[in-house]
Amino acid sequence: MNLAMLKPGEYGTITKIGSIGPIKRRLMDMGVLVGEKVKVEKVAPLGDPIEVTIKNYNLSLRKKEAEGIAVEAIK
Amino acid sequence: MSLQLSRGEVTSPVQSQESKSTAAPHEKTITVAVAGNPNSGKSTLINAIAGTRLYVGNWPGVTVEKKSAMFEHGGRKIKLIDLPGTYSLSPYTQEEIIARDYLVKEKPDVIINVVDATNIERNLYLTVQLLELGIPLVIALNIYDEAEQKGYRINTKAMEEMLGVKVTPTVATKKAGLEELLKAATESADNPSRYLPKQLNYGDDIESAAAVIRTHISEQYPSLDGIYPTRWLAFKFMEGDSRAAEEASLKMDAAFIDKATAHLKKAHGDDMESIMADERYALATGLTREVVKRPEVRKVEITEKIDRWALNRFLGIPIFLAAMWIVFKLTFDISQPFGDWIDGATAGPVSRLADKMIAAVNGPLWIASLATEGVIAGVGFVLAFVPVIFAMMFFITFLEGSGYMARAAFVMDRAMHSMGLHGKSFIPMLLGFGCNVPGIYATRTLENPRDKALTALLLPLMSCGARLPVYVVFIGAFFSSYAGTVLWSMYVMGIVLAILMGVIFKRTLFRGESPMFIMELPPYRMPSLRSLMIHTWEKGKHFLIKAGTYIFAVSILVWFLLNLPWGVENKKDSYLGKTGQIIAPVLEPVGFGNWEAASALVTGLIAKEIVVGSMAEIYAVEQAEEAPTTVSEDLKEMGTTFVAAAGDSFRNVFATFGIASISAEEDEGASGLKTVIQKTFTPLTAYAFMAFVLLYMPCVVVAIAMKHEFGSWKWFGVAFAYQMVLAWGVALVIYQGGKFLGIG
Repeated sequence: MNLAMLKPGEYGTITKIGSIGPIKRRLMDMGVLVGEKVKVEKVAPLGDPIEVTIKNYNLSLRKKEAEGIAVEAIK
Repeated sequence: MSLQLSRGEVTSPVQSQESKSTAAPHEKTITVAVAGNPNSGKSTLINAIAGTRLYVGNWPGVTVEKKSAMFEHGGRKIKLIDLPGTYSLSPYTQEEIIARDYLVKEKPDVIINVVDATNIERNLYLTVQLLELGIPLVIALNIYDEAEQKGYRINTKAMEEMLGVKVTPTVATKKAGLEELLKAATESADNPSRYLPKQLNYGDDIESAAAVIRTHISEQYPSLDGIYPTRWLAFKFMEGDSRAAEEASLKMDAAFIDKATAHLKKAHGDDMESIMADERYALATGLTREVVKRPEVRKVEITEKIDRWALNRFLGIPIFLAAMWIVFKLTFDISQPFGDWIDGATAGPVSRLADKMIAAVNGPLWIASLATEGVIAGVGFVLAFVPVIFAMMFFITFLEGSGYMARAAFVMDRAMHSMGLHGKSFIPMLLGFGCNVPGIYATRTLENPRDKALTALLLPLMSCGARLPVYVVFIGAFFSSYAGTVLWSMYVMGIVLAILMGVIFKRTLFRGESPMFIMELPPYRMPSLRSLMIHTWEKGKHFLIKAGTYIFAVSILVWFLLNLPWGVENKKDSYLGKTGQIIAPVLEPVGFGNWEAASALVTGLIAKEIVVGSMAEIYAVEQAEEAPTTVSEDLKEMGTTFVAAAGDSFRNVFATFGIASISAEEDEGASGLKTVIQKTFTPLTAYAFMAFVLLYMPCVVVAIAMKHEFGSWKWFGVAFAYQMVLAWGVALVIYQGGKFLGIG
């Protein structure tokens, strides 16, 4: 299960950040950390990127980047 | 100061009453670096403090904007440096490298860290990294009013105690708390030992590994003591940040570092960089938990409400397009009448005045010509761009400051990404249809150098307003029965070729991973008018001085080209005509290999609308003689036309449909030109010529704007080369293809 698979309105807990190097660092700098709760807010009208809420603010990222973030869905 | 503070939780800053030294005011200038997250209100704060004293330039060697100001406050000289807005101090992005290089190397006396009070946790992540540097620091807890409205209760006193630095609530948009902030900053700078920030505890395992490395550095490189903060260096080594080591000219002993951190990596099961980032966030989270009380029930916020519409699946794109249409219309329709007025005034009354003055002192004819057609025309040419640059800067700054720019990028990213661009590339491209020059300047909203360069490269393919007069004349002469379709085809040709070139560039010049798209969607906020004005003024001024001088020089050069040798009867014998004759053979295969067309195209390098004028001149189309006027008539004319321009500008805003800047009226005298070109061109060569005008080199002003924005001629060089090849190739295909099919 990864972040790109969550639907708008769904929550997840981040379990692993798959990407490495600058992308991983950037994600972590933006608060995308293992154990963090994340909610998918919206998908852009053209289907990509997506908007999520994390650490109390809104972040947008492309699905490609979201696919590298493993999550566990919270029911 | 009308700052409302919640229930006595904020007390006066620590120890402020006793720090007044009785000594004479210090003579030393205090260097204050301002650091903070993007969207933390940092630029508004800087504008509020420094106002028009701000100087806007670039950081050396890069295209990142650098703002600084020198002023006096409370009898002290203060040098304010605005660091680029960053979320972190990683070694990966240009902005972050600039910020940390400045802090480590230049060692400002104090850092003002602007922290968004509505988003403390993520902002403190940067604070934690700034504290590592061991430079005195004060926190501006900005946007404090909004945090209060949200019901946040922030215990600034506890924050001060935990971090060992002063914390001042501020509302930059209302200029609240700034006096206290500057006072805290000067005090901390004057007493660095007392206000040295606390070194936060990163946990035993990280701290002990850092201690081992610090000892190692001190033993191996004793000369670095006191120059570089060794704790910071140790952290950087642990993170594998080779840039920091290079800067300090240290050799990183990889094996040693590995040994010191091996147990950490094993225990955490991650790489060191991630372990450190995790730990820093843990500190930020812990601090936030201690000092911020959020209300239990969260209100649905205004941003959420707006975004339900603005980012809606079905309405998102229509709303975006409507917003863009308004921006485009306002930018060009407000500014165009003023630009035209400057144009008209310099070409008419001002030139006539100069003529009369030179005639009055019996100046030779060539001096009069140089003064009016060279100097005054050149100045007018520069000034004519000023209204559009100002208008564009104003609206772009508004889009950014309000938070909509990020949404625009979000909505358009998918489409732009397919041509290797970023969602934010759309706006510069769109502005390009009005004029490529503000489009180039608008690329500064793109953070990544690659996105920025690629956008600027493709932008000149957007058919700008200056190319329109050329189309109008040729369409009028050859395609009057299906004018709309032919005109439309020019715009479409530009867009299609931009997509094509985008795909090609993505695979060649810009090969490799496309930059990531990890972007904050900040809350919607109303930018302060003052901040908008200052920003717009600074940019406009910068354009006028930096680009203006170049453009002016080029126009003088053109005068020489056109008029020398002095007194040439036949334009064919002028330097321009001679240049045209040299180039003409190259244009033979594309259908217009005559010196007249070639010379007109050469003048079009200056500005494409000139092509029509120079053709009229070259073909010696008879122009209507101007009636002589008196000085007072001229002055009166300037006044009345200015009032008319202001009126037009105002009316344009409310004329809902149609865009004034891309509708062209036929110039007087154009009918004469049409008759001439009907003799020298065929419909086929005319179409090839129009395509060539669309595609060949962007005008000189675009060239200068590109140099100005990118700090070198490199990207303009690339644009020049590919556009020349493209223009020639497309014209060739049209002409030879048309001939083959038996058209023309």
